[in-house]
Amino acid sequence: MSLISQIISQLVNGLQSGSIYALVALGYSMVYGIILLLNFAHGDIIMIGAYVVFYAMTSFSLPPLVAVLLAVIACTLLGALIEKVAYTPLRSAPRLSLLITAIGVSFLLENGAQLVFGAGAKNVPSFIDGGVQIGDVYLSYVSVVTILVSVASMVVLTFLVQKTKLGKAMRAVSEDMGAAQLMGISLNRTISFTFAVGSALAGIGSVLYICAYGQASPTMGSMLGLKAFVAAVLGGIGSIPGAMIGGFVIGLLEALVTAVGLSTWKDGVVFAVLIVVLLVKPTGILGRQITEKV
Amino acid sequence: MLKVDNINVYYGNIHAIKDVSFEVNEGEIVTLIGANGAGKSTILKTISGLLRTKTGDVILKGESIKSVAPHKIVAKGLAHVPEGRRVFLAMSVEENLEMGAYTQPASSIAPNMQEVFQWFPRLKERRRQMAGTLSGGEQQMLAMGRAMMSGAKVLLLDEPSMGLSPLLVKEIFEIITELNKRGMTILLVEQNAQMALSVAQRAYVLETGRIIMQGSAAELLNDDSVRKAYLGA
Repeated sequence: MSLISQIISQLVNGLQSGSIYALVALGYSMVYGIILLLNFAHGDIIMIGAYVVFYAMTSFSLPPLVAVLLAVIACTLLGALIEKVAYTPLRSAPRLSLLITAIGVSFLLENGAQLVFGAGAKNVPSFIDGGVQIGDVYLSYVSVVTILVSVASMVVLTFLVQKTKLGKAMRAVSEDMGAAQLMGISLNRTISFTFAVGSALAGIGSVLYICAYGQASPTMGSMLGLKAFVAAVLGGIGSIPGAMIGGFVIGLLEALVTAVGLSTWKDGVVFAVLIVVLLVKPTGILGRQITEKV
Repeated sequence: MLKVDNINVYYGNIHAIKDVSFEVNEGEIVTLIGANGAGKSTILKTISGLLRTKTGDVILKGESIKSVAPHKIVAKGLAHVPEGRRVFLAMSVEENLEMGAYTQPASSIAPNMQEVFQWFPRLKERRRQMAGTLSGGEQQMLAMGRAMMSGAKVLLLDEPSMGLSPLLVKEIFEIITELNKRGMTILLVEQNAQMALSVAQRAYVLETGRIIMQGSAAELLNDDSVRKAYLGA
């Protein structure tokens, strides 16, 4: 294998895991953008999505596409439900209470999953097999599908946020909650919508994750969630394009570290990035810095 | 049209508004004047629902709105142009105006926007620009235009002259007068008491959360204590 084709394969790997990170990071960033909450339960929503795929395909023998749809729907509803039950009552509480609650919800989901699904990992049957050989580069269909689905989701999200009424309301609320209310925008509806959209993206991410790694386990969401969080911070938390860029950068960085033979250092390098970003440029690559004119 | 009846508003333990009552009749411009921290903005925020009163009532067109959510008050025909304009800086002028029409049917947006552009031609020139790139005066126009998009019959204006050049202040106040002539009921909060009293029909003077004086704008303009305290004469 030539160096070039090795670089290309690693790039594809990086883009594949990067697009999953990006989808998950979007949920972190959107929620932070609107209520300044680091929703640490976000990663665990992915885990629930993965189990939905597993049970839909094995216990109910549903076709993969139906399983995927069910997972996305389940994640969307779960995200909106968590927001209603756990975060809405704390709307006027200090931010720290919200953060602690988010960590609590995360523990609840992880331990609840262990109780219900068992602590061991479940093998999810793969449903995107094969690949294509181009020169001496082997492209698996999973990688191709993952990258395409992620990019398509981001295009749809961008349209939603930029052009639709609810999307514009989201931007208005995230910029100035009080002024948005004075426009007649309902905070509760807009915030629920944001959680639902972020969780739907997590649902898509969970399916793509399962395609890549073929396993569901109760704690799978925590590492994925943490890395996506790093991606969101790197891109500039609160920024939607930032989350996309951050996700891809983290994915590519992991691939690079693996390619030079330091795969055991992968996680460490990602968290080192977090430390460096927080030290050097806490607002991230595209963090919001709007100077206000008086 | 709008009646504030014996409200008491608190920030935590701080008693910010004390037993305040006043009324704005249909077609009037009424102004609340007073020094910084007297509670003027707090009263407006209480009317538009961002803050809550512990006692009394806020009545709009005969209906109590003191427990109505702020986003529902807009739909009842009351728009609040907040202090410091608070336009959405990362959104375009057009998008800001669309947000103003959030409670309105989509079909009303285009005609309402044309009307706003007639009032403020400068906004039309800058319709695709981000609001954050506008000058202070343009942002004030946008904030007012945005409120007008809601089809409101009552407008609460909080310090529209703040930080503007004398020329712009004059322009904004001409528009306020003209809006009023065309039927808009206006509650105006101002530190620029001279300007406010010159356009208003009636006025209330607020000091540390209490109304200490009221009367026609002309009376207050000629009142010695008002002149000393608020008009620098």
